[in-house]
Amino acid sequence: MEKLLLSDHSEITINPVEPIFTPKEITSYLLIEFDRSFAIKPGISKKIYLTFPVEIGIFISKRRDFELLDVFSFARKKFSLYGEPNNGIVCKYWKSNLHLSKPDVNPLTEGVLELNVRNDSSSWINVSKALFKALGMKLYYNGSLVSMRATMKLTDEEIAETDFHDSPLEKGMHKSIELVTSKRLSVQSSKTIMMEGI
Amino acid sequence: MVNYTLIGNITVLKLVMIVGILLGWAITSKIFSFYVRKTFKTRLDKDHLEIAVKIINYSIFVLAFTWILGILGIKLSGLLVAGGILGIVLGFASQSIVGNLVSGVFLMIERPMKIGNAVEVNGVIGIVEDIKIISTTIRTWDGLHIRVPNEKIFTSSITNYVSNVARRFSYVVGIRYKDDAEKAIEIIRQITDEEPFALQTPAPIIFVSELASSSVDITVMIWSPITEWYELKKRLLWVIKKRLEANGIEIAFPQSVLWLGEENLREKIGKSIVGD
Repeated sequence: MEKLLLSDHSEITINPVEPIFTPKEITSYLLIEFDRSFAIKPGISKKIYLTFPVEIGIFISKRRDFELLDVFSFARKKFSLYGEPNNGIVCKYWKSNLHLSKPDVNPLTEGVLELNVRNDSSSWINVSKALFKALGMKLYYNGSLVSMRATMKLTDEEIAETDFHDSPLEKGMHKSIELVTSKRLSVQSSKTIMMEGI
Repeated sequence: MVNYTLIGNITVLKLVMIVGILLGWAITSKIFSFYVRKTFKTRLDKDHLEIAVKIINYSIFVLAFTWILGILGIKLSGLLVAGGILGIVLGFASQSIVGNLVSGVFLMIERPMKIGNAVEVNGVIGIVEDIKIISTTIRTWDGLHIRVPNEKIFTSSITNYVSNVARRFSYVVGIRYKDDAEKAIEIIRQITDEEPFALQTPAPIIFVSELASSSVDITVMIWSPITEWYELKKRLLWVIKKRLEANGIEIAFPQSVLWLGEENLREKIGKSIVGD
């Protein structure tokens, strides 16, 4: 992409953005499918670590005003359908290995998502995927890591609720510019209800 | 003063009452419209909301009108007879208009299509530009503006190309008999796997669908987001063709092998000449 910038005393900011913009912004959702499913005991919460695709935004900024110039990504780009064609959701798709501790990844292609899974139901539940709304994603980054922290509340065998925590995975990480949140005019919920299977 | 007759049996009092009723109708309509819009703003979409407001306004008007008729001493039973005859006359005259109008109301309630949708209806394919009470306007792919009466739309089948979030499209790729169909399927699967808008789920379906007269036909079925399917369909077939050819698999073309009786004869003659 080539663009002529007519400006004075502006800065170029480069940071990770919500992973829904490449190759084209057609959805506000990210679906992460695990390489293996896990089963969780009723009434407990456990932390797992997943990866997500990193997309890098280039902004031109002056004081607090910023304008997105371009977004690019080295990660695999793929979309998927969550639910049925008549009432489902088209999502950005990512297949992730499931880790029990923070994995080492290439920060230019993959970020690390710490997911706190809580089983609020009274039975064991199998989980093989997680759906997230880009609105509410809180991305943090440093030279070697891009991260997000989220929760997944399982209410029964078919329904779950996901949401994000606004905190870094490591100390001293920088917070990314929230592109999706800044584009929304009204306040909307950042929670995602998964009703088409988990 | 209040019993002073103005025209016929209309007194000042009756006139004041009629004016009051009309004022009351106007104010009540405004109040009801305001509260209906406010209450159902988040529950109903704009089209349905406006229909509801109109129905309420007309109902209040009919009540006010009936009340005024009573004040003027006009009996409704007489009006009903006259109205019945008038209704029959008007009914014959405006049959199609009423049909279109009723169809328009049902189209707005049922909503098989919305403004901006790509549809095929009554043999017309295009984008819905407007749905009015009598007719619907469609802009065809060629940029033509077509007005379709609502009655025709309501009684014909409607194909809405964009009502679902994703749709499937298909190709049939015919390769030569001497090519490896399993390898071709693997190559096509790689292509769909690399393509972002070929959805992961539902997964593409690729299989040998026919052993045709000149080719082994491989059917490729791909699901794509509704906003992207057409661009993808236009692009992907050529990608498949080029990738197959790069891997030594050729697209078959129609061919026939002819066995001529003369050839057998020549073979026999040839043998006899050699024998001599």
